[in-house]
Amino acid sequence: MTMPVEVQEPELEDLTLTDKPWIVIVWNDPVNLMSYVVYVFQKLFGYSRKKATRLMRQVHEEGKAVVSDGPIEKCEADVARLHAHGLWATMEHPS
Amino acid sequence: MPRWKRFRRGPRDTLVVSLAEEELGLLRSLPEQLRDVLEDDTEDPARARLFPRAYLDPTAETEEAEWQALVGPSLLAERLDALQLITATLGRAVLAGDWWQIELSPDEVQAWLGVLNDTRLVLGTRLGVTEEERELDPADPEAGPYALYQWLTWVQGDLVEELL
Repeated sequence: MTMPVEVQEPELEDLTLTDKPWIVIVWNDPVNLMSYVVYVFQKLFGYSRKKATRLMRQVHEEGKAVVSDGPIEKCEADVARLHAHGLWATMEHPS
Repeated sequence: MPRWKRFRRGPRDTLVVSLAEEELGLLRSLPEQLRDVLEDDTEDPARARLFPRAYLDPTAETEEAEWQALVGPSLLAERLDALQLITATLGRAVLAGDWWQIELSPDEVQAWLGVLNDTRLVLGTRLGVTEEERELDPADPEAGPYALYQWLTWVQGDLVEELL
């Protein structure tokens, strides 16, 4: 048996903090072909050729790009797929 | 006359690859070498390049270790499966005129793409390649591996062009 406990209502800020999505970053590397990176973005994320190309260019020119975001489980799955395809990807939670 | 293409569309969803005899021999030697890299547990930057960190944050060691334990084995299994698939395709090449040809199913195409890319990542890491092309003296011990790297780049580029 258990006693009813007083549940504290979550504060709005806490909710917002928890809901903030994780992000997946792809980093530039000298081996992966530009065309291959475009192909992988289209295949894994269903992005248009245009969007995939824009992200690839951003990776190439700026050194990195955020390619997807969402809950931690989704980002882990995205990073795993990117690693399976040989891309250098990491995930982080923007604070 | 259509220009020569290494990969062209075949019946159903297949791609047909055309290889010179020495190219076929070269490709047949790759899976075993890549398997050696994959199955060697000793510290190796080339192997590490195939299984990079998921968390860049150096304070996230616990999360990183959990992630590697969860995902590492399946990533390895997937890469070993691809080696098996590509090996099977290379075993059924048929001579058509001057070229050895292989009809590849969509799954086999993905295995080719993965093995070509993984091999380039391993070679690229070992050779320390940059985005600049290198001019190597033929006597340089790295000239052979670098030529292989460039040839694989060319083949993979042709394959991606056909898939895009």
